[in-house]
Amino acid sequence: MNERNESIHGVACTFRKPADVYHAAEKVRDAGWKYWDVHSAYPIHGLDKAMGLPRSKIPRLTLLGGVTGFIAGCLLTWYMNSFDYPLIVGGKPLWSPIFPFPIMYECTILFAAFGTFFGQFILNRLPQHHHPLFDLPQFARTSDDSFMIVLEARDSQFHLDESRNFLLSLGGQEITVIRD
Amino acid sequence: MSASPSRLSSHWTTFVAVGFVALVAVWSFAFLGLGEHDHRPALSVLVGSLFWVSTLMGMLMLIMITRVFDAGWAPIIRRSWEFMISALPVVLLLGVAPLAFIPEFRHILWEWTDASHILPSGHEVGHDPILRAKSWFLNENFFLIRIAAYVLFFGVITWALRHWSFKQDKERTAQHTHTLHAVSAVGIPASAVMLTLLAFDCLMALSYHWFSTMYGVWFFSLSIRLALAATVIFTYRLSNGGWLDGLLNQAHRHVLGCLMLAFTVFWAYISFSQYFIIYNANIPEETFWYNMREFNPVTGLKSDWWGVSMYLIFGFFFLPFLLLLFYRAKIVARRLLTIAWIIFVGGIMDLWFNAVPRQIVDKTAPEGFTVSPFISGYLALDLLAIAGFGCLVIGLFLRASTQAETIPVHDPRILESINYHE
Repeated sequence: MNERNESIHGVACTFRKPADVYHAAEKVRDAGWKYWDVHSAYPIHGLDKAMGLPRSKIPRLTLLGGVTGFIAGCLLTWYMNSFDYPLIVGGKPLWSPIFPFPIMYECTILFAAFGTFFGQFILNRLPQHHHPLFDLPQFARTSDDSFMIVLEARDSQFHLDESRNFLLSLGGQEITVIRD
Repeated sequence: MSASPSRLSSHWTTFVAVGFVALVAVWSFAFLGLGEHDHRPALSVLVGSLFWVSTLMGMLMLIMITRVFDAGWAPIIRRSWEFMISALPVVLLLGVAPLAFIPEFRHILWEWTDASHILPSGHEVGHDPILRAKSWFLNENFFLIRIAAYVLFFGVITWALRHWSFKQDKERTAQHTHTLHAVSAVGIPASAVMLTLLAFDCLMALSYHWFSTMYGVWFFSLSIRLALAATVIFTYRLSNGGWLDGLLNQAHRHVLGCLMLAFTVFWAYISFSQYFIIYNANIPEETFWYNMREFNPVTGLKSDWWGVSMYLIFGFFFLPFLLLLFYRAKIVARRLLTIAWIIFVGGIMDLWFNAVPRQIVDKTAPEGFTVSPFISGYLALDLLAIAGFGCLVIGLFLRASTQAETIPVHDPRILESINYHE
């Protein structure tokens, strides 16, 4: 890698219109960038495709949580009612898949929700108390009337001057170098 | 639009004719059964018509629900539902209504209407204190009034929903959308009451000692599942050489797939809860209904109905549930179609499970009765009845498609529906 500066986070470029940032994103995607992002105040329809983003992996974590919860519910009811303190209630067996089903099912839902919620935290690398972008006055405007593409320095394609020119060639308005 | 709608629609007479022939055959068996005091062929007519009543009521509810929620994805599919529900009063009139109004069929199917019928306990129905306590509801006159009310009510509501919707094709005014909002807002609770009572009368009252306050919700959940499965099946056909060619996209399938998943879970939740409450309370007046669906009363061993119940758990719930969890199963047309067929077939099993088992008096059996078996030649007659009513429904659906635009071209949300995206 040439002249990579450790203190540089990346290059940011603002766009005025959603269509501009959308088409710019397509070109960044086609150039094969891996570490980059688009910032907008609202969801732009089709932007995930324009960015070449795959589907979220959260559903897998939800499923994993759900299966864990179901098994946990089975073990919980079996251990408490049939193993640790065997107790006959209402003439029912010590353990069967029927009477404790509400518990197994509620555990499934609870753990699936945990999988979703904490999975989202992990995949989004949260909590994160600070980000270099927050220092950028232009970044604040992306929650109002501006759009932004950020190319990150950790991408193997990153080269300060070339990346800056690349963004300008995409029709960007204002280029800023983000420092860590 | 393409010329294909008329090409498909022109087959409507064939479907109606085939359905008619099949129904004549099924009804003939039902009349022959009367002579031998055999209720089972008449039950085939009931099962066949209720299968489609259930499916069409689900579509009726989906029409009204998507109306009140202003569902943006719905209009192009809703028009086909509107075509479908034109068959609902006809199916009631050719199936449920004659069974109830012809006294011989009524007495043989709904034993409580026959005061001289002998119960397994050896007593006559007319002297049954349980029936007497319920007689304010379960009496023949009120029963017939209710059956007539179902035909009338569903006739009027299906007419109203089509009338203003079709009118919009010509009059191009959003006013009709507002009118249909109002019709649907009133129609949803009214239909909920009517379909609950219909489930009580046509299915629960087949075994009149038994009662479940969840029965209406179970019937509703089955209806929506069948309606969604039928919708996936017919929209697949209509988007391959029909009037939805090039209109139905991945996002529409995704919505239908998500709804199928939601109602698969809902059906399981309701069916299990009904079982769970009866299992936990363990009251004989309630448990006998499940006992005769699990054990052979003569041998005390698990009967073939137990196999059916296992199929419902694993084949009608777990299989479609697990398959529908996957995103691609909901968007790839052929995968979704396969799941829809699994649900459609499972719905027949569920109806069998609820309608067919009954106590047959047999003095030689230890408990005084046997239970009608699952595996029998009558299953073929049930399937013939389902196919017969099905051909009739498809025929009337295609006929209705000639009476209006095949998509609601002046619906305020038609563009939103055509361009629907995830």
